[in-house]
Amino acid sequence: MNYFLKTIGTVAGIVAAGMFWAATASARDISAANGTGVNGPNFDLVAKWGYISSPDGNTIYTWGYANGTGNMQYPGPTLIVNQGDEVSITFTSELPEVTGGNVASSIVFPGQTGVTASGGTAGVLAQESQGTDAPNTVTYSFTASQAGTFQYHSGTRPDLQVQMGLMGAIIVRPADFNVARTAYGVGTDSDYDHEHLFNLSEMDNDIHLAAETESWKAVASRDFNAIDTSEFKPEYWFINGRNLPDTVMGDNVPWLPTQPYGSFVRAHPGEKVLLRFIGGGVDGHPFHTHGDNLTVVARDGQLLSSAPGQGADLSFSRNTTDPLPGSTMDGIFQWTGKKMGWDIYGPVADFPHDCNDGDADNFDDVTWEWCPDHDKEIPVDMPSLLDMSYGGFWSGSPFLGHLDALPPGEGGLNPSGGFTFPWHSHHEKEVVNFDVFPGGMFTVFIVEPHSEPIP
Amino acid sequence: MKLKRFKGSIVSMGLAALIFGAAGSASAEFQYQCPRVGGANNTGISNGIELVDGVIPDNEAWNLRMNNKVCMHVTGSDGFATMADGKRLYVFGFKDQTGVIHKNHLNRNSNFHKNELLKEMGEAVTQGILGANQPSPPISLNQDDDFFLTLTNPGMVLRPDLFDPHTVHYHGFPEASAQFDGVPETSISINQAASITYWYNNAEPGTFMWHCHVEATEHMQMGMLGSLHVNPAQNKTGFGGNDATIAQLAGGAGPKGYVYNDGDGTTAFDVEKTILLGGYDGVFHDASEGVLPLPFAEMEDNYPTINGRGYPDTVGTTDAVMTDFGDWQDFGTLNAPEQFRNTQPVNAIVSATAGERVLLRLTNLNVSRAFTIQLSGGLKMKLVGQDARINRGRGLTDGKDLYHETSSIRVNGGSTHDLIIDTTGFAAGDYVLYTTNTNYLSNDQEDFGGIMTTITIN
Repeated sequence: MNYFLKTIGTVAGIVAAGMFWAATASARDISAANGTGVNGPNFDLVAKWGYISSPDGNTIYTWGYANGTGNMQYPGPTLIVNQGDEVSITFTSELPEVTGGNVASSIVFPGQTGVTASGGTAGVLAQESQGTDAPNTVTYSFTASQAGTFQYHSGTRPDLQVQMGLMGAIIVRPADFNVARTAYGVGTDSDYDHEHLFNLSEMDNDIHLAAETESWKAVASRDFNAIDTSEFKPEYWFINGRNLPDTVMGDNVPWLPTQPYGSFVRAHPGEKVLLRFIGGGVDGHPFHTHGDNLTVVARDGQLLSSAPGQGADLSFSRNTTDPLPGSTMDGIFQWTGKKMGWDIYGPVADFPHDCNDGDADNFDDVTWEWCPDHDKEIPVDMPSLLDMSYGGFWSGSPFLGHLDALPPGEGGLNPSGGFTFPWHSHHEKEVVNFDVFPGGMFTVFIVEPHSEPIP
Repeated sequence: MKLKRFKGSIVSMGLAALIFGAAGSASAEFQYQCPRVGGANNTGISNGIELVDGVIPDNEAWNLRMNNKVCMHVTGSDGFATMADGKRLYVFGFKDQTGVIHKNHLNRNSNFHKNELLKEMGEAVTQGILGANQPSPPISLNQDDDFFLTLTNPGMVLRPDLFDPHTVHYHGFPEASAQFDGVPETSISINQAASITYWYNNAEPGTFMWHCHVEATEHMQMGMLGSLHVNPAQNKTGFGGNDATIAQLAGGAGPKGYVYNDGDGTTAFDVEKTILLGGYDGVFHDASEGVLPLPFAEMEDNYPTINGRGYPDTVGTTDAVMTDFGDWQDFGTLNAPEQFRNTQPVNAIVSATAGERVLLRLTNLNVSRAFTIQLSGGLKMKLVGQDARINRGRGLTDGKDLYHETSSIRVNGGSTHDLIIDTTGFAAGDYVLYTTNTNYLSNDQEDFGGIMTTITIN
């Protein structure tokens, strides 16, 4: 159905106007193509030391996985394989030198069965690499028999090494992914339009300072095993290795070379967002999505299904999920504005538009406007402009796709006039960067108007 | 078909100068928005509620209601509260002001009514200063209610250096809009000496919460937290076409109420109680009172609470918790100084007759901790809902039954749980609801306190 929508907005003298004839389709996968993952089934991971940045101006000494000769990154590269792949990961430790080689490290793969390893030396949980001198490269092998969201992390002194940053995600695409983009296969209630990683973690700055101090000592004096992790008191909380506001920067921004993954989510009304949660730290974090509940369809790579063919009939709805440390969770989020009670595109007299519901689901077939609310006005008046304070993401207008007047200097982060919502840890103590608010485990989700392309 | 939307006429008054002086704002407009319904005299709207022994009766709420139009007015400011060990803490919070503005003066054109309204708004603002309640006023709504919530920000007299705005975030509201979501970073917030009115079409039933989202870590730790629930349409219709199942809350002969539109009565209850878990970090609050830098990274609650109180105040023999306002007794009152005030008017006592089904709306707005809650004496509770969705597959009322019974449950910050205790067959007496994180059974250094209350079966 074609129709005409005129948008009018003024922000400090800028007039925005646009027309469209059809919804702009959009899709976002975690992929090698957009730099948010690495394709398998063969991988080369190297544990390296480096630094990450936090928005309070700190640089934090960190250990992370690198993709081969690339930068150390936090979290580690997201490994993307297909269901049934024979996965092979070679791993070498280039962590700081100590007597006898480098700090030993290894990788474990929670949720994968039949993991075998060759090379390296035996550790408590897995074969370890103790450096670049042969034969200290380990090769881990397993068959990715199950679709879903998994993680990998250090199996050597994990109390220290996972805290230092040695963890990452594994995505196993279902066998029928070329038929439909889903997390667990066709008919599993896990189909999506946009896919995002939410790897949640935290850091205790004292532990990183202790490790950094060790690394300055002469090689023969270094003893990373002496670092005490028992008094774990984090001051930094992360989504995909970044703190707010870095969480809303794009992926692979050049000023965060060791933190490539953002968590800024955009979707059109009606589109489904797959949130792949990973408990990548040592604490649980109640993660709250403003805007609506999401449906948790799987935990630990297991679809919440009572029997094959039933789909995710055991899935449940939450606005505050709880990815526990070491576990994973998959949620599907969809915003529609259903039954809000007013027309999200504004009064027809001011912003001419139609609501065309050809398929009788009460939603406009293109814009997802809830037709029973067509042309209903907001029944309250706003306060005057100088009586309010504004966030950078406020467009000035309550309506989707519109901007409106703001005092000078306000707004500007939402030029397409979307509805913006925070997604964040609901233990608000975690929404700070070492005493500086706002920060931490907090990102932004924008419902974009249909004309706005989402790359 | 285009619907003509009723737009409530607005009452707005300009109060040019705040009592103790507002810095910087060129306009300062208090306004209370509530639509005119039901004829010239707004007949049929109840006006506020009566406290019983200084306590809000279980799951009552202050509001003006006419059919499905509900209005409420709160101020967001600072205040004091008393912990169970006697310590007075400086807090932020909301206070109900709905009953202050009389319904008869709303939306009237005569000068007499306008002047009365102006005077009453002034009273609301005056009483709002240092008026914070712990927790914030509970909100009780029905499915499909049009809810007009006005928030007035009178400023904070004890911290004249703070120019904080406030907001209301309706936590869990389905299909929210940015404008009324109450998050300052992504939306708008109301400055001091002004009012904002939020509007919600309560399309879905369930147990929710509400809180200020401005500088969330600070304002929530300081206490701007409250509970909210929406009764299902099934209260009015009953289920299975059987009028005998209409809920008592809707004037029927069935159970007191249902939690969700379950279609089969499995979320019916006879007694309900909101158990809102929270906590205060006394060091943080003292730093705020003393205009010191706030220790966010070291935040650790030492006063765990249910409904703003620690044990034994949770089961207090005097139902009101009276706080000594000391030197500040001139503020927040209309006429004479008022030294002792009822600052925490919600207790945590649960009481039922054997055989009754007790609904616990178990929620947590603590900013740093999850708690595990346990019942003593073999009492079991059935989880029938979580995060304002019935506990059925896909969160749908026709989904697969996921109800399960338990005697303990983990409650994260930001989550809500609907738990029904069937007291059939249990001996009369006091049972205990407490946290198994037993270090939180304390009021700072005082042992035997914190998150504990009684369930009395008669």
